[in-house]
Amino acid sequence: MAGIWAWAETWELLQEVLRLGKSLGEQMGASLTAILSEQLVAAEGCFAQGADRVLRLPALPPELPMEAIVPVLAGQAQQDCPELVLIGSTQRGREIAARLAGQLQAGMVSDCIAVRFDRAQGLEMDRVMYGGRAVQTVRCLTRPQMATIPARAFPVSPPAAGSSGEIVDLPAPEAGKVAVVARKPKAAISGNLLEARTVVCVGRGLETEADLALARELAAVLGAEIACTRPVVEEYHWLPEHLCIGLSGQQVNPNLYLGVGVSGQVQHVVGIKDAEIICAINRDEQAPIFKVADYGVVGDFREVLPRLIEELKQAGSR
Amino acid sequence: MPKIITCFKWVVDEADIRVEPASHRLNLERVGYKISDYDRTALEAAAQLKEKYGGTVTALTIGGPSAKKSIKDALSRGADQACFVSDPGFEGLEPAQVAGLLGSVIASRLEYDLILCGDGSSDRYSQQVGPRLAEKLGIPVVTAVVGLELESDRIIAERKLETNLEVVAVKLPALLTVLPDLNTPRIPGLRDTLDAAKKPVVTIAAAELPPVAAALIETVALQGLVLERNCVQFGADANAIRQLVETLRKSGAVG
Repeated sequence: MAGIWAWAETWELLQEVLRLGKSLGEQMGASLTAILSEQLVAAEGCFAQGADRVLRLPALPPELPMEAIVPVLAGQAQQDCPELVLIGSTQRGREIAARLAGQLQAGMVSDCIAVRFDRAQGLEMDRVMYGGRAVQTVRCLTRPQMATIPARAFPVSPPAAGSSGEIVDLPAPEAGKVAVVARKPKAAISGNLLEARTVVCVGRGLETEADLALARELAAVLGAEIACTRPVVEEYHWLPEHLCIGLSGQQVNPNLYLGVGVSGQVQHVVGIKDAEIICAINRDEQAPIFKVADYGVVGDFREVLPRLIEELKQAGSR
Repeated sequence: MPKIITCFKWVVDEADIRVEPASHRLNLERVGYKISDYDRTALEAAAQLKEKYGGTVTALTIGGPSAKKSIKDALSRGADQACFVSDPGFEGLEPAQVAGLLGSVIASRLEYDLILCGDGSSDRYSQQVGPRLAEKLGIPVVTAVVGLELESDRIIAERKLETNLEVVAVKLPALLTVLPDLNTPRIPGLRDTLDAAKKPVVTIAAAELPPVAAALIETVALQGLVLERNCVQFGADANAIRQLVETLRKSGAVG
């Protein structure tokens, strides 16, 4: 059955990939197959997201990494001949997709952020390259067409009314040459940058931890989450890595992003491109952040922030 | 003593790229080039393994003739020898083609226990070449490596995933793709640069290799990414800040 395949490591991301698959399937006239790792959710969950069929993978023994599913997927794909394979872009997802593409000798678009279907041309997919400087538009020349889909890249449509479909159990993956010997938690993650409506982001323009305290005070007045650029994590060690915004960090979409002492390197700016309003405070009027900001304040943040905090408090009480 | 191959890519320094405001065209006229960021981590990892366990390190790259400049750079970062696969037609290959070419060079000419690659390149960042190369060679791959130890004939590697760290054991030969968290790449000194000039370099031309496989994807457009923003400037005095807050309030950005 030619159609669209969707797989992701988490249920949250799988829902997004399924909804994208559903909307493309309607345009392409293709059915939608969810590849479901059994432990995530009941198959009915996938049908409610528009899947016509579920290929179910058994839960893996602890010593097997998730990537062990690649040969099972490759075998099934050779039978199924899907037209399009969409894989949720997590670290594992990207490895699984690249290896599957290698086994199927298929072209793949990594981290697709937009897709257009044209009856004559097939799919055209956009992705970011050069550290956020450029958008590359790519077409797959072979079948299946393949892409990895980052979280929150596509608008989410409401789920369809619960329906049903075929459920096929896939064989259990065999042990490969990579064995898991331990799983360790990462440092605890506090706050929720990705859901934040307001973000105060600090950059290398800050010099002391007292400056950071001032930025935190602003964040408190705004009800904002605090975030930072990569140098603040790697050189200052003031904030943990999960608060880092940019190409190699979080990509945020708040109503208001307020950058304090952020210069605006491309690798950072790509992480804030979806912010509704970008506001920047920097003493260097040549800072590239001003070119991508809606509102810029050229000045020393040590003078600007106390005034801003005062004004916000007054505006709030008016 | 492990025989290590480190694959690296010579890329445009993205910080030098200009976007023409009206046409959104990319201006690459004055760009510099560099060894891709994560590949520097891979080269450093190989150098550190060699310092600890002995063995040899071969730095391998594919590119157009201008990528020749990268060879001395790579050799100054601890590799013993370099292998330069060069042809004007090797610029701008897509990831499957690069993996295919690397695979045929390695399978036909190089001995190895361990292959190291950056997790993605600074220019395309497709993160495909490492896993595809491992599939091509029929060896296991471990991606997103942030820690590694060699234990006789196997590697214990720590992977950084979204929700946790995963420690895996993999028997050699294997391929690892590394993240910058793994180490801080050295800055080559004068001595390293002088030594690099004396190290052996093997250059392989397209004619010595099987033909490059057809591309599996094609780039149909490449456009500068321009963020359309208001770019309104405010002063830093109390009055201006009041106006800023008022503007933010009207736009609904603050309550």
